Amino acid sequence: MRAGHIDRVKRRALRQAVTENLETIRGLPPRGVRPNVRLGRLWLRRVSLIIVPLTLAGSTFLLSKPVVEPMFVVQRAIPRKTGTPAQMQMMQYEKVDPAALPLSVRRVVIDAGHGGTDPGTTLPTLSEKAVTLDIATRLRKLLVQSGFEVISTRETDQQIPLRERAHIANASASDIFISIHVNSIVDHTNEHGVETYYLGPTRDAKLTRLAAEENRESGYSLADMRKLLDGIYADARRDESQRLASTVQSQLYGGLRNADPGLQNWGVKRAPFLVLVATEMPAILAEVGCMSNEKEVAMMHKPEYRDRIARALFDGIRAYSIEKR
Amino acid sequence: MADSEVLHVGIDLGTSRSAISASNGERFVVDSFVGWPVDMVAKKVLKRNVMIGHEAVANRTMLDLHRPLERGLLKEGSDKDVEAVRELLRHLLRLVGVDGNEGKLSSANVRAVVGVPAAALRTNKQYLRNTMKGIVDSLMIVSEPFAVAYGLDALLHTLIIDIGAGTTDFCVMKGRYPTEEDQRTLTIAGDSIDGHLLKLISERYPQANVTLFMARDWKEKYSFVNTPPDKVVVTAPVNGVPTQFDITNEMRAACETLLPPTVETMLDLLSRVEPEFQERVRNNIILSGGGGLIRGLPEALQDALKQVGGGKVTYMHDPVFVGSDGGLALALDAPDSDWEKLSS
Repeated sequence: MRAGHIDRVKRRALRQAVTENLETIRGLPPRGVRPNVRLGRLWLRRVSLIIVPLTLAGSTFLLSKPVVEPMFVVQRAIPRKTGTPAQMQMMQYEKVDPAALPLSVRRVVIDAGHGGTDPGTTLPTLSEKAVTLDIATRLRKLLVQSGFEVISTRETDQQIPLRERAHIANASASDIFISIHVNSIVDHTNEHGVETYYLGPTRDAKLTRLAAEENRESGYSLADMRKLLDGIYADARRDESQRLASTVQSQLYGGLRNADPGLQNWGVKRAPFLVLVATEMPAILAEVGCMSNEKEVAMMHKPEYRDRIARALFDGIRAYSIEKR
Repeated sequence: MADSEVLHVGIDLGTSRSAISASNGERFVVDSFVGWPVDMVAKKVLKRNVMIGHEAVANRTMLDLHRPLERGLLKEGSDKDVEAVRELLRHLLRLVGVDGNEGKLSSANVRAVVGVPAAALRTNKQYLRNTMKGIVDSLMIVSEPFAVAYGLDALLHTLIIDIGAGTTDFCVMKGRYPTEEDQRTLTIAGDSIDGHLLKLISERYPQANVTLFMARDWKEKYSFVNTPPDKVVVTAPVNGVPTQFDITNEMRAACETLLPPTVETMLDLLSRVEPEFQERVRNNIILSGGGGLIRGLPEALQDALKQVGGGKVTYMHDPVFVGSDGGLALALDAPDSDWEKLSS
């Protein structure tokens, strides 16, 4: 055995590697995300010194007011005004106390791409704006049922400029942003796949064209855009967005390939979509399918397939949330 | 357990190829493919219950072929892929002499260090650990670039860039086991180059009948960035007739997709190193993995380093075993007491 002869640096690194393995065996989360119990106890003692006098001082006031039970409220940036009875029924979510669930990601913004006079890709029987809204609604239901708070940038068929979408997300102080879109690759109608984008520059001319297409109707001036794009490289959110994109893409492809064996995994990519530039939290744009492919269009007509897409996106968000714990 | 009864192994479980280095001096590499005969006829023709590696790829038309690793990690949720990775591991161990027969080593004698991508989560590692139960006695799972650095005695002020098939791993070594902020994993790697190459060839020569396996073989023979060393001319069938095609531009375009994200991540990690050590790290960049074989890549990375004051990129001439050799070094250095704790 060479253990006695190896140098100090190697011995320390080896010891740390073994410790990391033992922690994995015990099911402990990585050190960086583990709560510091000692520090927590210290703060608890300090905070109690402030809380106890405040509680005593305020008790007379509190006793004079009716007690309001804390309740979890699903926030909606845009009030829902219309909807079919079935859609209305979907909104009757069961209330869940998010504090009871160990989620590091609590508030999620769901952005259904396009809407109103901006239909996105349009086919005789299907439009991108309708597909994205349907999937967003299904995804929202799954998230709320699991204790996430959800902000929707749109809940009806209405046009919301990209600037407004980013504003809704930023004002809500959400943890992550997910924009749902459907691809259309007219040059290669025999191909279909899924891909997820996070913010970053790209040298790929096709991606630049795609970003330009999705950035239409942005609501930003040229000066605003330059300022926003200047920040792309320096943006510290990018690492987290990349992680979120990888997790969602993995679940998206994994969740759909069984139903569609011909589906291709086009991976995680960077592109300067404005909705990703202007949001202040980890943000991704998922292209959940391809409307240029006949086979996929036929599947997209089926509610079960749209449900499967929503489920895959949900699994990605949940996996990222667990990973962040 | 006495040392004489123990076999220490380092395993680089790769998306494309898996390598094993053992303390008895044996080293092997196999393609990470496992296949089972699709029906009784195939079984009769092949005369085997399972085929692994190159043999499996060669007979793929008769096999239910599995590539059980995706982006360097075991695919979750598929029993067949779990069984495939177990077959692959058993095969690797058999190659180095572990077969359980009388007088031979059995799995109860094996202590293994397995390298996984830098960004692998604890859940991924736990899943791999569960999958390897019963195949080895004790198991240590480490970040693949850490295994490389350990084997090369490059644990201090070094940046490892390990370009595999599924992932490109970066790890700045700071004299300790790397933490999350010391490491990055990109999913742009050998496989994504294969995909790009196939797409570009199909676009330029729609009449050519080309598969992903052919694109992969060509990449392994002719890959380059920047200036082509020679024209890349390959043969592919057109309506069954072997025909030659010049794919020089397509090869360059596909390989160069690796450059922007690699350069960007390399510079980003370097900028996070303590300022007084940045120059030392810049001059100690080690390129490993199959991607290190792309001609012109070390020079292209060195060119990119000029914008931050220059640096040196060293290319590993034996990239196939550098990870498994590092794993073996770790396995040999770990004391018995640690191996007992890591026993499954």
